[in-house]
Amino acid sequence: MKKVISTFAWIVIAVIGAGALATIALQRNERISATWFVVAAACFYMVAYRFYSAFLAAKLVALDDSRATPAERNDDGRDFVPTNKWVLFGHHFAAIAGPGPLVGPTLAAQFGYLPGTLWLIAGAAFAGCVQDFVILFCSIRRNGKSLGEMARDEVGKRGGFIAQLAVLAILIILLGVVALVVVNALKTSPWATFTLAMTIPIALLMGVYLRYLRPGRVLEASLIGLALVLFVVVAGQWVANSAPWASVFTLSGVALAFWIIAYGFAASALPVWLLLAPRDYLSAFIKAGAIFSLAAGILIVRPEIQMPALTKFIDGSGPVFAGKIFPFCFITIACGAISGFHSLISSGTTPKMIQREGHARLIGYGAMLLESFVGVMAMVAACAMQPGVYFAINSPAGVVGTAPDAVAATISGWGYHLDPQTMVNMAHAVGEQTLFNRAGGAPSLAVGMAQIFSSTIGGDRLMSIWYHFAIMFEALFILTVLDAGTRVGRFMVQEMGGRVWKPFGQTSWMPSVVISSALVVCAWGYFLYQGVIDPFGGINSLWPLFGIANQLLAAVALVVATTILLKMGRLKWIWVTLVPMVWLITITMTASWQKIFSGNPRIGFLSGAKALAAQIAAGKIPAARLTEMQRTIFNLRLDAVVTAVLAAMILVLVVEALLRWTAILTKRSEAVLHETPYAATQWVGGAEGD
Amino acid sequence: MRKLVVSVQNEVHQFWERIREWCGDSSYERYQRAMARKREPLLLSPQQFYVQQLERKYSRPNRCC
Repeated sequence: MKKVISTFAWIVIAVIGAGALATIALQRNERISATWFVVAAACFYMVAYRFYSAFLAAKLVALDDSRATPAERNDDGRDFVPTNKWVLFGHHFAAIAGPGPLVGPTLAAQFGYLPGTLWLIAGAAFAGCVQDFVILFCSIRRNGKSLGEMARDEVGKRGGFIAQLAVLAILIILLGVVALVVVNALKTSPWATFTLAMTIPIALLMGVYLRYLRPGRVLEASLIGLALVLFVVVAGQWVANSAPWASVFTLSGVALAFWIIAYGFAASALPVWLLLAPRDYLSAFIKAGAIFSLAAGILIVRPEIQMPALTKFIDGSGPVFAGKIFPFCFITIACGAISGFHSLISSGTTPKMIQREGHARLIGYGAMLLESFVGVMAMVAACAMQPGVYFAINSPAGVVGTAPDAVAATISGWGYHLDPQTMVNMAHAVGEQTLFNRAGGAPSLAVGMAQIFSSTIGGDRLMSIWYHFAIMFEALFILTVLDAGTRVGRFMVQEMGGRVWKPFGQTSWMPSVVISSALVVCAWGYFLYQGVIDPFGGINSLWPLFGIANQLLAAVALVVATTILLKMGRLKWIWVTLVPMVWLITITMTASWQKIFSGNPRIGFLSGAKALAAQIAAGKIPAARLTEMQRTIFNLRLDAVVTAVLAAMILVLVVEALLRWTAILTKRSEAVLHETPYAATQWVGGAEGD
Repeated sequence: MRKLVVSVQNEVHQFWERIREWCGDSSYERYQRAMARKREPLLLSPQQFYVQQLERKYSRPNRCC
């Protein structure tokens, strides 16, 4: 009887989900409610988790709860800590959920709501979750080894080297592009700049409190910090309204870029307890609170989706970024559907804390489903605003101009009516001077969030507070990614340098700390600066580069996963990782080819450089802008080289993997697995934290 | 009724402990318990443990894009 009820319940969930998806996919010329998105995503995730992840756990990898995990084998109370599965789920989710699932879908909304939403939901279930789950499983079975170590052991030395290089490449490009998102959100906004600047002394205060006054009392310090952050969000309005203070905090894009570069250097070189860690605590609490509030807000307000299902920009002529729906929709969404970076978390801290292999299903597969849901909410927030407003905020000056009337005329000409007064009123409502040309996704997401929040609490009166709360939330956790990433990059550079000259590898030797921090900061700082001075807003060239690097790392992870499954004798189920791997390689290679060689100067780096050079040769560029244009030409060529290197890396890895697979399948080489030998668990009645 | 109150109290307490564990508030207590289980002496003071834990945590990728 129970089975009949359960079967019936799952049929009902599947039918409701299919109905909601059909409504989203087939509705034309009529506005639909955001509730359909929430219902479709929730039902799809439930079915995927219940059936597909169960299949992966039972058939593909055969999780074994009788086997001792690394946390049990090496329980040291520090790195290897057996942790309750829900607590570890929270840890893992907090680690994987960054700005990507918020910014990517917001940018991809330029194609309309449909392609991005479908890829977010299906891509997560069949690619992203699979990657996170299988890599987590592989790392658990190898005593918590990292992706790079597994690639070296299971694929080959070159595979390990490529994985390491890919990590460093993605880190540098990621940090440059997310810093650009912050700059575009803060430039000429004294309120937002003041709020974010004040989080630094607040973090320092928390750092001293946690280090000297109440060591390790994270909750107390975070509550104090949260209260202060909320206060500075409100106080930002007073600063913006005071002419002398407003002028201090009104910074240009270039000035902000240099401040952020200086901040990244300081956060990497200073003791971690002083600035980086307390900021991360603040960010984690605000991130969790804002994401749940957004979900609740969408369910309460149930906004209508105003963006069409598909826009005319699927042809590649989009103002936010150039390129056709294939492959650029997938490259742009990146983290909300599948992120290579997650494989570093799945083979980092999480496998060292998991109590039982069976928990990998909830943590590896389930946490990624939740991240995908965050992406769907970001898509809803972006698509709930008028399309004209969305394009006005996200289009760079190089495409639509700067004068409000000209911007409105251009965007209205695309078929998305925009009254310049609407933008003036909106900027006034959110307490900004202007919302035009704020490419990067963060300001439009903040407007969307503020509209949803203010419809729930406070009405129009609180619109400006909610907008700046949303900007602070986005910028705060982007800076957390920035400082934590810079520090990790510093350690990687020190490790590489240590191979050449041993003292450089000492992580606490000050000259090495300073030099390696400076190298990493200069590397991502260069991409940031390039984006800030780019006449097309920077996002057009840098976000696809980031997407390519990210998806490249995901392809590396799936190559490793496929190789391990092959060695485990799972040939029958190899399609589970092989299909997403082939898909990722296809989109990465297509996007790389187009970004390098496309004849359209807005898409291809080389043709973009050629077009600018032709304009200079024809004397069409004023003398005052000659240096800037020459620098832009150099940057475009540099981006082409970086993209080519990324594409070459994936080709080498694929060839290496194919050779290894052929050798295994033709029995020319033995399929040696590098798993830790089986040891039975001693935790019969439950473990620590159970 | 009293049973219900006790049960709710237990749930709230457990939830609170999970939050403490999630944010790292109870890390030192866990370290103490791990050392007690292994019957090894406590080598680190709360301050030392806190700083060392952070040094390890932020020397590898722990925040994603």
